[in-house]
Amino acid sequence: MRAPGRLRFAGRYVTRWAVDTAGVLLALSAGTFALVLLARGDPAAILAATRAGRSATPEQIEAVRAELGLDAPAPVRYVRWLADASTGDFGLSLRTNTPVGPEIADRMGVTLGLVAGSAAVALVAGVAVGVAGAVLGRGPVRGALRGGALLATSVPAFWLSYLLVLVLALRLGLVPTSGMAGPATWVMPMAVLGLPAAGALSRVVAVTLREALDQPYVLAAQARGSGPVSIVLRDGLPNAAGPILSLAGVTVGSLLVGTVVVEQIFGWPGLGAYFVHAAAARDVPALQAAALALGGGFILANRLADVLQALIDPRSLRDAGGTGPRAAGRGRRPSRRGGTGPREEAT
Amino acid sequence: MTQGHRRWGLPATVRTTLVALPLIVFAIAGVLAPVLAPADPTANDLAAGLLPPSADHLLGTDQLGRDQLSRILYGARISLAVTAAVLAISLAAGVVIGTVAGYLGGRVDRVISRLIDMAVSLPGMLVALAVIGVRGPGVENLVIALSLWAWAPYARIARARVAGLRGSPHLDALRLLGAGPVRVIGRHLLPPALAPCLVYASTDVGAIVLSVATLSFLGLGIPPPHAEWGQMLIEGRPYLASAWWLAYPPGIAITAVVFAGNLLGERLAGGDERPSILRWVRPARRPRHSIAPRPAPAGSPATSAAPAASAEDDVVLRVRDLSAGYPHGGGLRRVVAGVSYEVRRGRVLAIVGETGSGKTTSALAPFGLVDPGAVVTGSATLGGGAGALELMGRTPPERHRVNGRRVGVVFQDSLAALNPLRTVGAHVDEAVRNAGRGGRRAATRRVSEELLRLAGLPDPAVIAREFPHQLSGGMRQRVQIAIALAGEPELLVADEPTSALDVTVQAQLLDLLGRLRDELAMAMVVVSHDVAVISRLADSVAVMYAGRIVETGPLATVIGNPDHPYTRGLLDAVPRPGAAPGTRFRTMPGRSGAGPDDTGGCAFAPRCPIAVAACADDRPVLEAASTVAHRSACLRHPGGTALQPGTARERDRL
Ligand code: SF4
Repeated sequence: MRAPGRLRFAGRYVTRWAVDTAGVLLALSAGTFALVLLARGDPAAILAATRAGRSATPEQIEAVRAELGLDAPAPVRYVRWLADASTGDFGLSLRTNTPVGPEIADRMGVTLGLVAGSAAVALVAGVAVGVAGAVLGRGPVRGALRGGALLATSVPAFWLSYLLVLVLALRLGLVPTSGMAGPATWVMPMAVLGLPAAGALSRVVAVTLREALDQPYVLAAQARGSGPVSIVLRDGLPNAAGPILSLAGVTVGSLLVGTVVVEQIFGWPGLGAYFVHAAAARDVPALQAAALALGGGFILANRLADVLQALIDPRSLRDAGGTGPRAAGRGRRPSRRGGTGPREEAT
Repeated sequence: MTQGHRRWGLPATVRTTLVALPLIVFAIAGVLAPVLAPADPTANDLAAGLLPPSADHLLGTDQLGRDQLSRILYGARISLAVTAAVLAISLAAGVVIGTVAGYLGGRVDRVISRLIDMAVSLPGMLVALAVIGVRGPGVENLVIALSLWAWAPYARIARARVAGLRGSPHLDALRLLGAGPVRVIGRHLLPPALAPCLVYASTDVGAIVLSVATLSFLGLGIPPPHAEWGQMLIEGRPYLASAWWLAYPPGIAITAVVFAGNLLGERLAGGDERPSILRWVRPARRPRHSIAPRPAPAGSPATSAAPAASAEDDVVLRVRDLSAGYPHGGGLRRVVAGVSYEVRRGRVLAIVGETGSGKTTSALAPFGLVDPGAVVTGSATLGGGAGALELMGRTPPERHRVNGRRVGVVFQDSLAALNPLRTVGAHVDEAVRNAGRGGRRAATRRVSEELLRLAGLPDPAVIAREFPHQLSGGMRQRVQIAIALAGEPELLVADEPTSALDVTVQAQLLDLLGRLRDELAMAMVVVSHDVAVISRLADSVAVMYAGRIVETGPLATVIGNPDHPYTRGLLDAVPRPGAAPGTRFRTMPGRSGAGPDDTGGCAFAPRCPIAVAACADDRPVLEAASTVAHRSACLRHPGGTALQPGTARERDRL
C-alpha cells in the first residue's frame, strides 16, 4: 500500500505502455511504407522526369531507380527506409527534387504552433461551456449550449472558415483573409480548428463532470459549507479529469490532423498543407514523411493522455486489487469511435 | 428523466425520427435526384452565370450558369452513393472479421483484435488522404480509402457481440446437433452481430458524408464536373462574397446531415439528460404553505416528534411540518410528509425506519442537502432565542454560513463521502477554512490535526497525508466526524454513522459520539436502523414509516413500551436496551410502504397484524399514548394504556 508498491506499479505500467506505443508506431511506419507499394506510377520515372524537366529517358529512370534502391525487395527497402527515416532522412521529394526531411522539420513549428493555439481555444471554451452545461438546470440556456456544442462539432471546417472569412475579414475587415503574418492572422485558423474541438470537449466535460458532481462527496462538501466554485474546482473537475484528459489527447491528435484542411484554406506553410500538396502531386516520399509525422503525433497525443490519466489518479496506482467507487466507469476513452472518425479529424 | 423525455410531448421513437429527418431527406434527395432536379447539374449556360435565386432557379446559378438546386440534389446523390458503398464494404468486412474473431477466440482473436485496435487508433482522415495521395483522386479510390478505416469499429462491435454469445448453451447445443461452423456463424451469429452494427451505421452516415466533402474540397475526392457539396464550395470560392447562394446551401446541406448523424449517435448512446446534484436552481422557491411555525389546528394531520417546548433557548433544531417531494407527472410526489421534531442541547434524537421511509431526507432536508429538484416545505428553526434562524427558503450562499459552521454532518458511506483524489488533510483543511478558523496553510493544518485527534485518530499528521481509500472504514468515519466538528457546531447530524462497520468499531464510534455530545454539549440527530446505536446514544426516538413519523417519545418508553404495531414489530425479536452493537431491527414481513400519499388511510395497514376496516380510510394522527411525551399514530393504540385520543388542550399544543 505504500510508496514502493505504487512506484513499482507505475514503473510496470509505463514500461508496458512504452512497449505498446512502440508497437503501434512501428505498425504506422509499416503502413506508411506500404503506401509506396500502392502507388500508381513509377516513382523513379516521376523523379527522373522532375530532374530532366521533361519526360526522362529509360537510362535516366534506371539510374534514379538504382539511386533510390527501388530494385531491392520490399522488406529490405522497408528496413532501409525506416533506418533512414529514424535519422530524419526521408529521401527526395518527387515534386521538387529536394530532401524531404528538412522541409518537414521547418514546417513542423508552424503546425505545432497552430495546434497549440487551437488546443488552448478548445480547452478554455470547451471546459467553460461544459462546466456551464453540468451546473445549469434544465432550461433554455443549457439547451442552447448543448445545441451550439453539437453544431460546432458538425460544421465542416472548410465551410466554417468561409463563413468566418465572409464576416470577419470581408464584411468587418477585422483580420486578413489568409496568410500567416501577425497575431491577427492567427484568429481564424485557431477558431476554425479549435471551436469544433471545443464543442466535442464540452460535451464530454458536461457528462463526466455531471457524473462527478452526483457523487456523495459533493453532498458532503456542501454539508461542510463549501461553495459551488470550490466544489467544481476541487471535487468535480479532478474527478472528471480522466475522461476529459483522455479526450484532450484525442483532441490534440485530431487538431494535428485537422491542420490538413485549415492550413490549406488559410495558406499556412505547415505540415498539413505540405501533406495535401504531396497527396495532390502523388509525391510519395513527401507523403510518407508527412503521414508519419502527423500520424505519429496523433498516436502519441492519444496514448500520452492515457498514461497521464492513469498516473494522476492515486487509486489507479494501488497495488491492491480493490476498485474505487468509479473504477468501473473509467478506462476507455469516451468518444464513440476512439477518435478515428472524420468527425474529429475532418474539422 | 421522465419529464425530459416528455418535453415535446412526443414519444421517443417519433423524436428519434425527427432527429434523423435530415438523413432521411438526404437519402430521398439522393435517390430521386434525377426526378427532382429541375435541370441538368452539369449543363453550362454562361449567359445565365451567377444569377440570384428566382422562380427559374430556386437557388440561383453558379459561375458557369449551372442550376444550383440541381447541383445540390445531385451532390446528395453522389455523396449517398459513396456513403452507401463505403458502408456496404466496411459493414460486410467488419462484421465478418469481427464475427470470425469472436467465434474462433484464442490466438486468431487476439491477433485480429490487435489489428482492430490499431486500425481504430489510426486517424481516418490521414489514412484516406494518404491512400488517395498515392492512388490519385476518383470515386473508386475514394471508396477504397474511406472503407480502409471505416471497417474497424464494425469489427469491434461485432466481435464484442459474438464473443458474448460464444459461451451460450444454445450454441453448444447447435454444435452437438452437428451444425458446422459456417452454419453456426451464418445463421446464428451474423444476424445478432449485424444488428448493433446497423444502428452504428446510421450514425456513421454523417461522418462519411463529411469525409467525402472534405476530400473533395481538398481536390482529392470527387473530381469536377460532378456536383459534390465540398466540390461546389471550392469551385464557388472566388464568388462567395458576392453570391451568397453559392456559399450557404452546400454548407448547410453538409452541416445538416452531419449534425443529424451526431445527434442520432448521441441519442442512441443515451445522451446526458440527467442534471447533477450541484445544478443551479433559482434560489429558494418560496414554499406554497406558510413557512413560519404556526400552531397546528386541532386534528391536523401533521405528525410531530415532540410536544411544544418549554425552555425555548434550549432547543437547537425545531422542525415543523416538513414535507419533501419531487415533481412527478405534473404533480408532486412526496417522500416525506408533515414531519415535526426537535432536539435540545446535549440531547440525541434518533430517527428510525426502514430504507425508503424518508428518515434521511427528514434529517438532511432542513440543511438543503437533498437533490436541488426536491420541493421542500415546512419550517426548520436552528437555535433558540436571539440566534434563532429559519433554515427554509435559504439561498445556497446563506446555507454556507450554516452548514459547516453551526451544523456538522456525518454521512453513511464514508468512502463515497470523501473525494477519492484528495488527502484526508485536504478535506479537513477545507472544512476548517470554511468555518473561518483557517489561517496560513500550516496553521490550518494544525487545527485539522487537532480535530483528527479529537475524533480519536492516532498520529493525525500521518493520517492527514493519506488518501481516503488507504484508511479503514472506521478511520474514515472518524475523519468525517473531524470534518463535521470543524465549525464547532451546535448540531451534529449523523446518517447511519456505524453501518457497514464491524461490531467493535461500531462500539468505539458510539462511545466517541457520546463523549463528544457530553464534552461539546452538542445536539445530535442520528439516523439509524440499528438498535444498538439508538439504545446507547439516543435520548428520544422518532419512528418513521412511509414518509411519516408513526411513533415518538423518550427512548425508554418507546423501546420498553412501544405503542404502534410497526414499532412493536421492529422490536419484536430484538433484545431490549443494551442490545449488542450491530443488532438490527427485525425485518418485517411484507413490502415496505411506498410514499406518504399512496393511501388515504394508514400506510402500514397492508402489513399490520391488527388492522381493522377503518385503517384503510382514516389516517391516524400522532396522539399521546402512554404519556404526553410518548405519542403514536395508530387508530387502535395497542399499547393499551392510551390516554384516549388526547384532550383538546393537548392537541392544541401539537
Ligand atoms: S392504524 Fe390500523 S393499520 Fe395502522 S397501525 Fe394502527 S391498527 Fe395498524
